[in-house]
Amino acid sequence: MSRYAAAALCGALLAAAAPASAQVPRYLGADGGIARVRFRSVTAAGGEELSGVVARAVARGRAGAFALEASYAQGRLTADTGLATDRDLVDGSVFLAVRPVPWLAVGAGPHARAYDAAAGGVERWMHFEGRVRAEGDIVPGMLQAHLEGALALGSSVNLAAGAGGARSAAVGLTLRPPQSPVWVALGYGVDRAATKGGGRAETVEMVMLAIGWGAR
Amino acid sequence: MRRTAALFALAAVLATATAARVRAQSPAQRLAAGVQAYGNLDYDSAAAQLRAALDSAGAPPLSAGDRVRALVYLGATELFRDHRDSAAAAFSRLLQIDPLYRPDQLVFPPEVSSLFQEARLNTRAVVLSAPPLTRITSAGDRLVVWLYAASYHPVDVTILRANGVPFRNVYSGGVGDSLQVLWDGRGETGAPAESGAYRLRVDSRGGDGRVVRSVDLPLEVAATRGDTLPLPPPLADSLFRPEHSVPRSGARALATGLAGAAVALVLPSVVSSGSSGMGERFGVAGALGVAGLVGYQLQRRPQPIPENIAANRTLRRAWQQQADSVRAVNAARLRAVRLEIRAGTPRVVEAP
Repeated sequence: MSRYAAAALCGALLAAAAPASAQVPRYLGADGGIARVRFRSVTAAGGEELSGVVARAVARGRAGAFALEASYAQGRLTADTGLATDRDLVDGSVFLAVRPVPWLAVGAGPHARAYDAAAGGVERWMHFEGRVRAEGDIVPGMLQAHLEGALALGSSVNLAAGAGGARSAAVGLTLRPPQSPVWVALGYGVDRAATKGGGRAETVEMVMLAIGWGAR
Repeated sequence: MRRTAALFALAAVLATATAARVRAQSPAQRLAAGVQAYGNLDYDSAAAQLRAALDSAGAPPLSAGDRVRALVYLGATELFRDHRDSAAAAFSRLLQIDPLYRPDQLVFPPEVSSLFQEARLNTRAVVLSAPPLTRITSAGDRLVVWLYAASYHPVDVTILRANGVPFRNVYSGGVGDSLQVLWDGRGETGAPAESGAYRLRVDSRGGDGRVVRSVDLPLEVAATRGDTLPLPPPLADSLFRPEHSVPRSGARALATGLAGAAVALVLPSVVSSGSSGMGERFGVAGALGVAGLVGYQLQRRPQPIPENIAANRTLRRAWQQQADSVRAVNAARLRAVRLEIRAGTPRVVEAP
């Protein structure tokens, strides 16, 4: 799917969600936390595996049915296999979403990721992703589960093979004490990106723990 | 002998006739006759006429003004009859009636005025003057009573209830020619007077501190309190939100939690086929599963709904504030009692 088609899809979703804008108040939120990350790269010649802990922060705002979210994560991954070299992971994204119903958010936005190898060289991925997030109450007003899926509508990478595609999914749990603006979230996500032809596939897994304030 | 007896009989008849004529005179006529006799320097006759006028048993008494007039002429008459004590007593009686009276120096010679002045200085008496109606509607309003004294002496001014129990001490101290005393319509505690009969009593004290004369001013108090506002009606049950949830089966919570746990377990193989996935995801899956079980248990029991509890609390607080405001207004209105005080005629209740 081209970037233009993705933009058209986002525009249609925004227009569809506009009538619901008066039902949800506007508010802001932010969270910060850490994530345990495992990076695995598989190529025809073999593969490499790294892991580490990254710091992660997210800011979000809502106005009516519209939501804007920006995230940033950074940390060092150390090699778990003999051939790999340590890398610094930097990950950032911006998503604009709409909520046609309170439990569902649909959005799109750019997602960038870079691996800066200690031995030299930086691998940069750039995706334009469409994202769907569904939320469900386990204990109304206090405990909530969420499931999130994203698909790259367009991708690029500074590797010779070129970007083939990317997809990701996450699941998690949010605990918010009654009448409290503070919440705690625990989540697990998997992110896969591949070059054209499938010669190289990279999988990033994250187990995230975050403490947030305001909107979730 | 017979002639002598006849003369005695004639004299007796004449005396009886004269006495009958004197008895037939009214006190006012006796007063006039006494004044005329005084003018004729017939002091014995004047004294008899004036005493008879003042002692008018069985006849309409003299007015206060005529009694004062009779007493000043009686005092002067007794002075000229060399009955100085009787003269002073007459003047003292006069001053009990009208402490402000002074003999006319064009009518009476200086020695009369001198004795009168002497008697005045030894007389401890006051008269009272108050408006017939006083309205106390605001904090600055007062009942104003003027005291006029024959001579300087200590007095106690007290408001008494109808049964004689003191309600408020208004003044204790000396009074010279005149004194203004004020009463705000309240008792010693500051509470306003209730409707009913009261008296303003002025006790004149002698040199030894004992009460030598008391004067009462009857007061009829009518108290009117402002209307109070009704409290706001109690909040209807329909205005409150339910504070606890209706018990549910909990199946949805359980399903959500368990589905989330399952997704966490299969996510690596779905997104990245062939990947074994991180071991830490089992912790996330376990947390989701436990959360589902907890939600299942909690939803089977009524759970407090914090939003509704907070909304109901706000509603009750608003009602309470409204009720407190009304109570404050009512308390202020109850404190603001309007009084109407009607003063009667002062009367001497105790004479030495």
